[in-house]
Amino acid sequence: MAELVGIYAASHGPLIVRNWDVLSAACKAAITTGFDELGRRINAARADVLIVISPDHWVNFFMDNLPAICVGVGETHDGPPEPWLNAFPHRKMAGHAPLAQHIVTQAFTRGFEPSVSYKLALDHGFCIPLWKAGVAPLPAIVPIVLNTVEPPLPNVRRCFEWGAVLAEAIASFEGHIRVAILATGGLSHSIGEATMGAIDEAFDRECLQHFASGHREALFTFLDRRMEAAGNGTAEVRNWLAAHGAASAAGARDFELIHYSALPEVYVGCGFASWGTAR
Amino acid sequence: MRDYWLSKLFFDLQTPAAAAEYRAGRDAVLARYPLKPEVLAAIENDDVAAMAPLVNAYLLRFYFLVSGMPEETFLKRIRASGNKTAGEANRG
Repeated sequence: MAELVGIYAASHGPLIVRNWDVLSAACKAAITTGFDELGRRINAARADVLIVISPDHWVNFFMDNLPAICVGVGETHDGPPEPWLNAFPHRKMAGHAPLAQHIVTQAFTRGFEPSVSYKLALDHGFCIPLWKAGVAPLPAIVPIVLNTVEPPLPNVRRCFEWGAVLAEAIASFEGHIRVAILATGGLSHSIGEATMGAIDEAFDRECLQHFASGHREALFTFLDRRMEAAGNGTAEVRNWLAAHGAASAAGARDFELIHYSALPEVYVGCGFASWGTAR
Repeated sequence: MRDYWLSKLFFDLQTPAAAAEYRAGRDAVLARYPLKPEVLAAIENDDVAAMAPLVNAYLLRFYFLVSGMPEETFLKRIRASGNKTAGEANRG
């Protein structure tokens, strides 16, 4: 059976890459601190497959068809199409079709009907954390797009439950592989709306406390009450919820904050966390 | 309420070649989209506030990056627009 060997989360703000050369030393240090420790933990987990949960920022999907959840079941995935990510070291990334298909099959037995894609391009949401954390060698990637970009968005409880589905699918997969989960995005940020650039640090810190507390209903209630007002990008906390749900289903592994900094220079409340076993 | 064709225009401009063509001459590109007169006027006037409710906020931000509006100008205009996309999102 497959083994879940680590669960992680990290922010993925584009300006981390696009503006790197002009960021302050303090901002760079905060980002580097988070990604370095995240990468150390991911690499220590020696995963054969990394499930990466991220939104699609209008790369694969448009208003013609916007899936709430899409599982990348392809043998390979394309690298990021954003021109400013040309230096990302992988133009193609290996997938793990058997595990991806197993996740889909299991999901349909658990009340979820994700869409599938045999050919995804993985945008900055997927690739910035992989790159900046120095994940190497790169495991096979099972990308999962969770729509946190354009309403209607999946509700927070479903995102948590989706994580449980992932954990159960990993546990029931008949292959001796090591699997880790990386959720990307968040914490608070606001893009292309009147509050653009604002970071709600109070939201972020309370949100992180709720993740750490383990009281899921309090976390759901908090997010229902506060997430929208904390900026449109804050919706990506849904990806962290999926990771949290996976951790819970896998045995209530403790949430650990690796690093958090409110970083106005990159428009993001920048957070890094781990639920993993490899430290 | 989203405007499909304005959104499609912004979506299509993510291709570097399309963005270059647009920067070289908007009219030829805009002619390929059945845009409503008021939407076309908003584009021609770089009217951030008028376009903000019609498109996804990420696409809006991307469009003004590609079209060459300085970041400080965009920030000033979007902040003045009062447009907050979250109100349209599902709760939860």
